[in-house]
Amino acid sequence: MINVTIDGQKLQVPEGTTILNAAKMAHIKIPTLCYSEELSIYGGCRICVVEVENERLLQPSCAVAVKEGMVVKTHTPKVREVRKTIFELMIASHDLGCKLNCLTCSRGDNCDLQRLAQELGIREIRLNALDKNMSNDYSSYSIVREPNKCISCHRCVRRCEEIQGIGIFTKANRGPAAVITTFKNKGMGNLECVNCGQCIHACPTGALHEVYHYENVWDALHDPTKHVVVQTAPAVRVALAEAFGEKPGRIFTEQMVAALKRLGFDKVFDTDFSADLTIMEEGTELLGRIQNGGTLPMLTSCSPGWIKFIEHFYPEFLDNISSCKSPQQMLGALVKSYYAEKNNIPKEDIVVVSIMPCTAKKYEARRPEMTGDVDYALTTRELAMMIKEVGIDVLNLEGEDYDKLMGSSSGAAVIFGATGGVMEAALRTVYEILTGEELPGIDFTPVRGIEGIKEAEVKVGDLTLKAAVAHGLSNVRRLMNMIRDGKEYHFIEMMACPGGCIGGGGQPIPTDMEVVKKRMEAIYESDLAHGYRKSHENPEVQQLYDEYLGKPGSHKAHKLLHTHYTPRGL
Amino acid sequence: MGETLFLKRKVSEDYSHYDFPILKKVIKMRREDVIAEIKASGLKGRGGAGFPTGLKWELALKEPGDEKYIICNADEGEPGTFKDRFLLENTPLQVMEGIIIAGYAIGANKGYIYIRGEYAKAINIFQDAINHAKEEKLIGDSILDSDFSFDLQLVKGGGAYVCGDETSLINSIEGNRGISRITPPYPIQNGLYGKPSVVNNVETLTAAAEILAQGGKTYANLGTDKSKGTKLVCLSGDVKEPGVYEVEFGAMTLREIIDEFGKGTTGELKFVIPGGVSTAILTDDQLDIPYTYEDIANVGSGLGSGAVVVVSEGHDLLELLQNVSRFFMDETCGTCFPCREGNRRVYHLLKEAVNKGGFTSDDMKLIKDIGKTIYLAARCGLGQTSMCFIGSVLEKYTDELLARR
Repeated sequence: MINVTIDGQKLQVPEGTTILNAAKMAHIKIPTLCYSEELSIYGGCRICVVEVENERLLQPSCAVAVKEGMVVKTHTPKVREVRKTIFELMIASHDLGCKLNCLTCSRGDNCDLQRLAQELGIREIRLNALDKNMSNDYSSYSIVREPNKCISCHRCVRRCEEIQGIGIFTKANRGPAAVITTFKNKGMGNLECVNCGQCIHACPTGALHEVYHYENVWDALHDPTKHVVVQTAPAVRVALAEAFGEKPGRIFTEQMVAALKRLGFDKVFDTDFSADLTIMEEGTELLGRIQNGGTLPMLTSCSPGWIKFIEHFYPEFLDNISSCKSPQQMLGALVKSYYAEKNNIPKEDIVVVSIMPCTAKKYEARRPEMTGDVDYALTTRELAMMIKEVGIDVLNLEGEDYDKLMGSSSGAAVIFGATGGVMEAALRTVYEILTGEELPGIDFTPVRGIEGIKEAEVKVGDLTLKAAVAHGLSNVRRLMNMIRDGKEYHFIEMMACPGGCIGGGGQPIPTDMEVVKKRMEAIYESDLAHGYRKSHENPEVQQLYDEYLGKPGSHKAHKLLHTHYTPRGL
Repeated sequence: MGETLFLKRKVSEDYSHYDFPILKKVIKMRREDVIAEIKASGLKGRGGAGFPTGLKWELALKEPGDEKYIICNADEGEPGTFKDRFLLENTPLQVMEGIIIAGYAIGANKGYIYIRGEYAKAINIFQDAINHAKEEKLIGDSILDSDFSFDLQLVKGGGAYVCGDETSLINSIEGNRGISRITPPYPIQNGLYGKPSVVNNVETLTAAAEILAQGGKTYANLGTDKSKGTKLVCLSGDVKEPGVYEVEFGAMTLREIIDEFGKGTTGELKFVIPGGVSTAILTDDQLDIPYTYEDIANVGSGLGSGAVVVVSEGHDLLELLQNVSRFFMDETCGTCFPCREGNRRVYHLLKEAVNKGGFTSDDMKLIKDIGKTIYLAARCGLGQTSMCFIGSVLEKYTDELLARR
């Protein structure tokens, strides 16, 4: 243990502790900007500098480990003045010109720079705003980059590289020309970017945000010739309330449904319904592959970030991916066929909107092989904006139920939102189909939790089913390499985002591991509250097969609910 | 008083016949004894930071690991500095001998010399010298029939001033962006490719070789208590005879260097930059001090890399400030906010001042605040010293600058 004195408080901390963390232990919050607990130390912003006795220069507390006997002062006049000057310098090159940018910024209500200004007690900026004159990057279907707002903190660079293992962003040039950019400044839409949106969570400013589609949705809602149907993904219901000031972990399903009805959607369906359907199709596919010597391991297909990832980085494994469309696309396809036919609505008049925790879903909805299933994919944040715009007091709203036909779901469907959930849901059903018995214990905990790669074996009759789960693309990459090197599995669940969909790039800000854990608890709580815990018990799914599709894997099911993939390479 | 020729004594020799006599002697010595000799000499790093060379080598030798690197920093970028170029062009084999000796002393079998890309002549000469040494088997396996093998590779710099900083230089050799690393760990523990590495300046390594030839004591007998030996001074600016002069520490004052070696100034002397544009200026009344690390530090500046730039009356102060500011603005690597944004801002403030014909006291205060912030909070030496020149000019010529309006 190391003895250290911080602002007069003496304490002992483990060797290797940074000044920043030691201060935290002494209940002192040193302001930070480029620092992120989940990323490597960058040491760029220098906002966290402190005075260390006998050191000539100020020390960045995020990067310096405490030494025996160190005496640290966190808010001397020198420190306060330097922090304020750094802030002034930074803010003056942050596109603040005369465009009233804070008012129109995607991060107007949760800007790290505004927070920092308050923490530092900034009351004046003595410098004129610099116009960096860069153009916005609109090349991606999912994400917009506004480089003039970028302050070069490298949080996006590090998140993309370290958590997602991709590395879309880089620093280019030096001196005043130094910028964060994409490879050869090609734009995010022209690279191996998988649209996961984790960079948005990393960004302290509005330099990165989703491509907004809510205006199109407003247009549709106000177009009397359009029949607008909305669906909501499992992970949205446990996160939406955060956008209205609630603590992470509140289950908000019924209020969300009520708000959607008030917004004017003609039908509110549940993507959980099509998650159950996915289990029926994917489970059938898995059994077929196992029994008929098909390509194994089978890889899940619900995460569009993961799908683009494998198309770029492991195209030789495309046959391993389940041919099932994602739940979003399945529901869209069914609204425009099953629902349209049942209600005699021409499908041209139907607009399908999905509310997703995800930015990659916007890209997925635009995939040529599935065009038309879903018209607009909104993020959880965009839905919150719409609700706020209308002024619905959503927190105190009387809850409502999803609409019939595609509104019922099992507990197995809601856990799709968390890493391991698809696996667990599939096991509950596959086990029962093969053995005629319920999966022992039904709660299949080995695949739960935030461990990056999880493995499990389940004895199903004569077969020992080997399963694995990975989330966060750097873990996904590790697991893919294990498979490439010969490790054998039957079934693997892959999710692009850390924590699964609950940690998606479209979720309320902030989204970090602490928040994700709370959402995860809510997801499993919601599972328990469901009347049915297994996908094949969903009565509306049964009805769909009886009335329309025949049986899982039927010709019609294939036509509507399955897809194919494109080798993209690098 | 003339030059004290310690380093420069072999300048006239034709290097093609040079056969590494010092290395031949050193390679028979114990590594610890080689280092002891350097420690006895009191040699400090001549790149600017002044870290004791013997101590650096000792720490590197003690560091565990089979793979270590010696890197010669020849990325001489400090404006006004050209001593390393002089050595590379005139005594390349002595420089190389110094590198190999250092490699031997710390137990490194691979060395790099990172030469500033603009030094085309020096690069050609040094590459020839490496080829020559390889032919003569002075570089390679079991050199000079010892059990010591050594390989040396020349790397051309890509044109970034920041790569003169040792951790940035290491990043650059690795093919990464030239930006400083967070220290600790220092290169001695975790340097090139994560291995223990020593980065030494050209002049340091050349001096080390000569010290082993002439003895650590001989060197230590030159100079003062705190500044041992000699230093190559790069005299430039408004002097009649600019050039590289070898000066024994403490034997001459700054004014004597200017008057005797430079043969005086070309106009009425206004101020002197004693250690390159990363150091604070000294005015006429501060020049009668011995040329030593300690005496220059005492008057608030630094000896830096040894670049003595003389500035006489008749220059536009604002223009000079803008020129230096432009340099630092362009050369900041862009990693840390104080250096990137600060130097950009100072440049813009100076430019505005030129446009409106002078400074306001608000401008002055702002530049000083920014300067203080960069000094106290920047990530590496580039930033920390980037405002030394500008800050000192503002301080010493406040009235003159304010009066312009």
